[in-house]
Amino acid sequence: MTVKTRHTVWVAVVALALAFVFVRSGFDFEYVIPKRLERLATMVIGGICVAWSAITFQSLTGNRILTPAIMGYEAVYLLFQALLMLMLGTRSLMLLGEHGNAALSILLMLGYSWTLHRWLFRDDRDNVYFLLLVGLVLTMVITTFTQFVQLKMNPGEFSILMGYSQATFGNASATQLLYATLIVATICLAGLKSLPMLDVLLLGREQAISLGVDYRRCVQRQLLLIAALVAVSTSLLGPTAFMGIFVANTAYALAGTYRHQVTLPVGCAIAIALFILAQLLVEHLFNYKTTVGILVNLVCGAYFLSLMVRTRGTA
Amino acid sequence: MITVQDLHKTYGSRTVLSAVNLRFPSSQLTSLVGPNGAGKTTLLMMLARLLKPSRGDIRLDGSQVTGIPIDEYAKQVATLRQTPEFNLRLTVEELVAFGRFPYSRGRLTRHDHRVIDDALAFLSLTALRGAYLNELSGGQRQMAFLAMTIAQQTDYLLLDEPLNNLDIKHAVQIMQALRRLCDEQGRTVILVVHDINFAANYSDYIVAMKDGAVHCDGQVSDVITERRLSELYGLKFDIAHNERGYLCNYFKPSGNLE
Repeated sequence: MTVKTRHTVWVAVVALALAFVFVRSGFDFEYVIPKRLERLATMVIGGICVAWSAITFQSLTGNRILTPAIMGYEAVYLLFQALLMLMLGTRSLMLLGEHGNAALSILLMLGYSWTLHRWLFRDDRDNVYFLLLVGLVLTMVITTFTQFVQLKMNPGEFSILMGYSQATFGNASATQLLYATLIVATICLAGLKSLPMLDVLLLGREQAISLGVDYRRCVQRQLLLIAALVAVSTSLLGPTAFMGIFVANTAYALAGTYRHQVTLPVGCAIAIALFILAQLLVEHLFNYKTTVGILVNLVCGAYFLSLMVRTRGTA
Repeated sequence: MITVQDLHKTYGSRTVLSAVNLRFPSSQLTSLVGPNGAGKTTLLMMLARLLKPSRGDIRLDGSQVTGIPIDEYAKQVATLRQTPEFNLRLTVEELVAFGRFPYSRGRLTRHDHRVIDDALAFLSLTALRGAYLNELSGGQRQMAFLAMTIAQQTDYLLLDEPLNNLDIKHAVQIMQALRRLCDEQGRTVILVVHDINFAANYSDYIVAMKDGAVHCDGQVSDVITERRLSELYGLKFDIAHNERGYLCNYFKPSGNLE
């Protein structure tokens, strides 16, 4: 598809954003609109994180049905929240404060990914499938452990924990958003230079090396960027699990090219538009009776299926 | 010139390549032949730096390849593995453009476009430039990948079984193209090939490998003899040689196989 389609996506984002900020706001610039702007910023940052990390991860692994969730970053986050709740109970909310929890979560997820990559890439290994296998096994082990911890909790603590395990846009504070913006902007700027290299990785490890890509270094660096993006988005919105699959595949279909210079921005726009749309529906239509995650998956799934049918699977 | 000195490759206690010493002549076409599991592809992968030797040296024009940065190496040596089945929606021209990555890092210049056009024209692919790879036949796709490798404009080309799964006409086209790369452009081509007749008729130099070691190497006329090939493959060969080339007949050996 064409440049026009790509522009349409951005126009849709702007229109949705305006609708989100002003619809039924009563133009209350004291409270309603600033609060909505905060949520909007969360969605923009979250959207960029989810789309960027998912598309990059899919290119590294040469697989269109994966997201970084398979590496267990989010599982580590949930285990951390569960352990906090088990050991400190609801006191942990006061003790750490909102910033303390977010900062600790980010550090923990980065530490986890750093250790994992260090261990996986020791002595000349650069087998991505092995990496995925280890990630998947760790995810399952950590998730099971989290469930085990959950059984020891009282219902009150459990319901707070459930709040952590679903994506929401209303929790981030302005300070948190500022830091998140800085981190994400740095990552994206650092990543921009390597976009053509990501294109080459699509040809597979051997062809990439033959075309002069330092494969090991490139994969390690990209995995680090992905881990940081996932850490930021998880600490802001909570786990997004497999939302990235829909975002990425819809982006490929709309962009009509393999080039990351096109697919990444389109993916970001789609993710942001989706989040806003879902949040609008949650706030105005469903009156907070459903979650954003459910709506995103529903909308995306339906749209992606229709794309596949219309293009007879060439998308 | 690529030279190999005392090259070894082991996986644990299993040795797949031992004590290989070779000189690959420049601006010539060298075929690596031999039975399955002889170590041909392993050797080629080490030349391509896709695999690290356990011991030994590979030198490119006298300097150790491990000392050359990988992005510089890609300007001197291009490798084509057996083309993978991939489901990327890519046109022939976009694929060939990847061959310019070592130079342009993704931003194609006018010169790059000219090289891409030349590579497409060289393999008579110009009419197919806009076609999608997944809609091409296996032979056409192999040609497209070869065009990418040619667009990389390296002095050395390494190809791993480029004739695999091709019909005889495409196989002849590929071999003729490789021949022309040597003769017209002075490039050095090293390939792994299973069809002994293609090796005999298109190569300048043949390296015959068996059980992880070099069985014999030399000019075509030295290697393509009934005695040597019989030793190499454990089959009886009848070799006819006339002005149009060699015909190695091994299809119906008399007596039992070893």
